[in-house]
Amino acid sequence: MIRYQSHSSATLSGKEIGLLYEGTRVHSRAYTDSTVYEIEMERIFSRGWLYIGHTSEVATPGDFRVRKMGRQPVIMIRGRDDAVRVFMNRCRHRGAAVCEVESGNTKFLRCWYHGWIYDTVGKLVEVTQREAYGPEFNQDAMGLTPATRVEIYRGFVFASLATTGPTLREHLGNAAAMIDLMVEASPIGELAVDAGAHKTVYRGNWKLVGMDGYHPNFVHASVIAAWQRKQDSGMGATHRDDPFDDKAASRTRDLGNGHAMLDLTAQRLAHYEVYTKFLRSVPGGPEYMEAMQKRYGEERAKLLIALAGDPHVGVFPNMQLINNQIRIMNPVAPDETEVIMFPVRLGGVSDAMNAVRIRQHESFYGPAGAGSPDDAEIFERAQRGMMAQVDGWIDLSRGLNREEREPDGSIVGRITDEVPQRGQFKRWREMVSAD
Amino acid sequence: MTVYSIERLALIREVEDALYREAELADAHAYDEWLALWTKEVLYWVPCNNDDIDPMRQVSLIYDDRDRLEERLFRLKTKHAHSQNPRSRLIRTVSNICLQDFDAATGGTVTSRFVLGEVRLERQTEWIGRMKHVLVRDNGQFKIREKRVFLVNNDIPMGNLTFVI
Ligand code: FES
Ligand SMILES: [Fe+2]
Repeated sequence: MIRYQSHSSATLSGKEIGLLYEGTRVHSRAYTDSTVYEIEMERIFSRGWLYIGHTSEVATPGDFRVRKMGRQPVIMIRGRDDAVRVFMNRCRHRGAAVCEVESGNTKFLRCWYHGWIYDTVGKLVEVTQREAYGPEFNQDAMGLTPATRVEIYRGFVFASLATTGPTLREHLGNAAAMIDLMVEASPIGELAVDAGAHKTVYRGNWKLVGMDGYHPNFVHASVIAAWQRKQDSGMGATHRDDPFDDKAASRTRDLGNGHAMLDLTAQRLAHYEVYTKFLRSVPGGPEYMEAMQKRYGEERAKLLIALAGDPHVGVFPNMQLINNQIRIMNPVAPDETEVIMFPVRLGGVSDAMNAVRIRQHESFYGPAGAGSPDDAEIFERAQRGMMAQVDGWIDLSRGLNREEREPDGSIVGRITDEVPQRGQFKRWREMVSAD
Repeated sequence: MTVYSIERLALIREVEDALYREAELADAHAYDEWLALWTKEVLYWVPCNNDDIDPMRQVSLIYDDRDRLEERLFRLKTKHAHSQNPRSRLIRTVSNICLQDFDAATGGTVTSRFVLGEVRLERQTEWIGRMKHVLVRDNGQFKIREKRVFLVNNDIPMGNLTFVI
């Protein structure tokens, strides 16, 4: 396989790597260099909070999902005590993965190397031919290793492998309210992440999947052409005036801590009538609108309905909430990234409406969608191009002269401005530079 | 020993030809001619994660009715479908063709298997899977009313699947 990564001859320190971002530009080695990648694995993916999964994916005791924290394999499992935990997917004996299937329900996790058995709360319950161990062997201390810290925000399970550092709430900061926008698209405030997943992979660096309001008119020109053909279709209706025009009312936001979003609120509210006309035509649509108003009040309901559960937010470093999906980004190598897209089903909503939302997701996202493949294609072109490292700086200054700071500390720009990219790299620099 | 009548053999050949023709047009990215093989109402379904999912509750790779299929092809025909520019070079082989509940006069279900090699830019990818077609006799010809594609790799991370599978 042809690779698009480079290796620095001299080992770079974290501080030196941090200097690859200068506020208005970043050096392409940040995307291609294997030393940079190693430092990211250590300082971002082994220290920071990572999104692991949603509690609804492990709805009943014994349900489990295999996930990754950077390179490290973990299991998210609901124990017999109903608590959701995250364990390293590694046998305490000689290190074999104890869980080979991606998901399932079980009473015990058995390692088939030598037959040790763990239960759903991680306890080592059986050591085969136990008599070979003396009294110094402390079986109680040999349970599956838990992720150092696990915290849950509204069903979103996060884990960190650092003993110290900000709490999840501190880390989420302004992004917590954006997660709320997806959760509260459900009139009962519940998401069911049980609709399967689109699993995609592209040959490019993980930082290429960002929040970029500048690209749609170019990368997705073919989709926009298709929408213009049918202005009244679901997606067409919400994109009637170009939300990605520089003059559009939509905004970019750097929420702090590397979290960033494309704030489409103004655009979506402006098309509330067209959108809800479509929504009312879906079985269960009118009941949905009524239930939303009852639960959240008229004003908030209007916002939630208009956004349709799409905060369009990236939660640094590995989660995005876009359209109807929760996304996990898994770096595989400096030049390879998996993007797993989980469409959600809204609790308290008709099956017909959830089905429409899944169809809308498929139309743009996933390996055979109209949008995601062109994103992946462009990320791969960027990765290839960035291998040219003579004069290897890439520019991130767009909109710097016109961005504004909000009272909550977030930075706001026009939709095509590189506010999100700067926000993400600011956090990236802090994390890679910290010893 | 099964003894095939000449009529049965002729029918099998005719169905094989219909599938070969479809494969040929799909490989050639001949979208208009490929679409002309379908009936007015269509289901073009490529499940995701599992062969046996409920498409109303779970996400598919492709779940197209005629509108969505036409939109898919419209987009691929624009100049800006970047992930098909340059186009994938494709060769597919269709085999193990079996007629199930099939009537020469009206049509029926056909199952088959395929191996599809894709080369695009510097990359070679194999796509393999089973297919299930529902063919109906229409003006003398067999037309496709339903096509289901069960990819063996439908549960692992994959690259772009933007050609006609
Ligand atoms: S490695 Fe698991 S039992 Fe030996
Ligand atoms: Fe995009």
